[in-house]
Amino acid sequence: MVMETDVLIIGAGPAGLAAAYETASRGLDVTIVDESISKGGQLCQQTQILRTLPSPFLAMRGYELANTLINQLDEFSVRYLLGHRMIGTYKDGSIGITDETNVFPVNPKKIIVATGAAEKAVPFPKWTLPGVITVGAAQTLVNRDFVTPGKNAVIIGSSDFAMDVAIQLSDVGVNIIGIVESLPKILARDAEKTEHIMQRSIPLYLRSSIKEARGNGEVEEIDIQFPDRIMTEKVDLVCVDGGRTPILDAFYQLGCSFGFQEELGGWLPQYNEFLQTDCKDVFLAGNAAGISSQGALLITGRIPGVRVCEELNIISKQEAEHERASHWKELENLEAKLFPEKWEARLNHIKNYANPLLKDQFIS
Amino acid sequence: MDKTTIICRCEEINCEEIEEAIGHDARTFDDIKRLTRCGMGPCQAKICISLVADVIHEQTGSHLHEIPLPRMRMPISPIKLETLATNSTTFSSVKSVMDEVELEEGKVR
Repeated sequence: MVMETDVLIIGAGPAGLAAAYETASRGLDVTIVDESISKGGQLCQQTQILRTLPSPFLAMRGYELANTLINQLDEFSVRYLLGHRMIGTYKDGSIGITDETNVFPVNPKKIIVATGAAEKAVPFPKWTLPGVITVGAAQTLVNRDFVTPGKNAVIIGSSDFAMDVAIQLSDVGVNIIGIVESLPKILARDAEKTEHIMQRSIPLYLRSSIKEARGNGEVEEIDIQFPDRIMTEKVDLVCVDGGRTPILDAFYQLGCSFGFQEELGGWLPQYNEFLQTDCKDVFLAGNAAGISSQGALLITGRIPGVRVCEELNIISKQEAEHERASHWKELENLEAKLFPEKWEARLNHIKNYANPLLKDQFIS
Repeated sequence: MDKTTIICRCEEINCEEIEEAIGHDARTFDDIKRLTRCGMGPCQAKICISLVADVIHEQTGSHLHEIPLPRMRMPISPIKLETLATNSTTFSSVKSVMDEVELEEGKVR
């Protein structure tokens, strides 16, 4: 049995849900696939307040935003395939979805891929010891699973996200031995977070890195390398923040081209101002289209949503153009101020649409 | 990072082995994969892809945008063969994997 739908959205995170609202609220039949059994993606364990959200949203905590995005879809025709994942494509172009028992094809008119981002590893000798995890994993353990991942932790990296996780770990009683940053300055843009860290007397170690971890079957000790000395600390938890990179497998299977923008996370699908890839019916949204702030991600879900409605003749060209202009204006407001280098990279990426670095990658 | 640092945790390939492959003119992730099995474990390169690119960059001076993505194959993440083969006679075959086998009454020949 082939499942027919107007719009297939891969990923029920913030960008996927924002794209679903744009399309479902205008009457399209929308199907959302997510490998998790719950909606909201990584937002569900974000307990920090997100301040720069697009209208109509006021500042709120991540999980509150997830609930808002989920609830606003209640009255519309949205089919959720939770606990399902895309495994590939069929020769006839339909998408192979599995519920882990069966595989079945879905034949959508349009696809919006919102697969999000993956955290990058940070290598040092013995980084594969149990107890060395990413900052995102630490946050998931604490806020979703209510598990304390360790007693004495060191955080590697000083991004806004690493600071949030350091504060959240400290809140549940984890002793933060220090935050280790290789650069001469703190990376977090939000000065308030650094202040919180200072108030808790958590040491910030600049120009430092992990030289080595040691332990028998799990991490027990780390050496922190400073320019002039080495400091050894007893720890049972090392949380690393290596930054994030777009998840690209689905795009590769669909035959999309790729470009490279360091500021947006490295390799990413080539797309135009409609957030449309060079495969006509494949669109993208969220972190998959470049790592950015939660507020910007929501808008990158709305833009392809509007284009899909326009191409399926649900809204007029004029209305679509009007909507699009206002979404791009808002994206500029949110992204250009806070992350000017990301905004510039995004514009550059769109300029390169006709000249992707990698194309025709998929061979059967 | 030193030479003993693991790069591919699934296949336990360390930095020295990656550098040795680069010494044999490996310039892309797939070159290194073919020489070392790096990226061929259960995670299918999802963790080591950026680490390998960094080593290639350090060793050869290539920019990261000159180091292409590895080939990403179907299935996107591991799946039981039994699950993959369900219903397969009733619709178009799966690109990439199933075009290498023939199907007869729902069974792989």
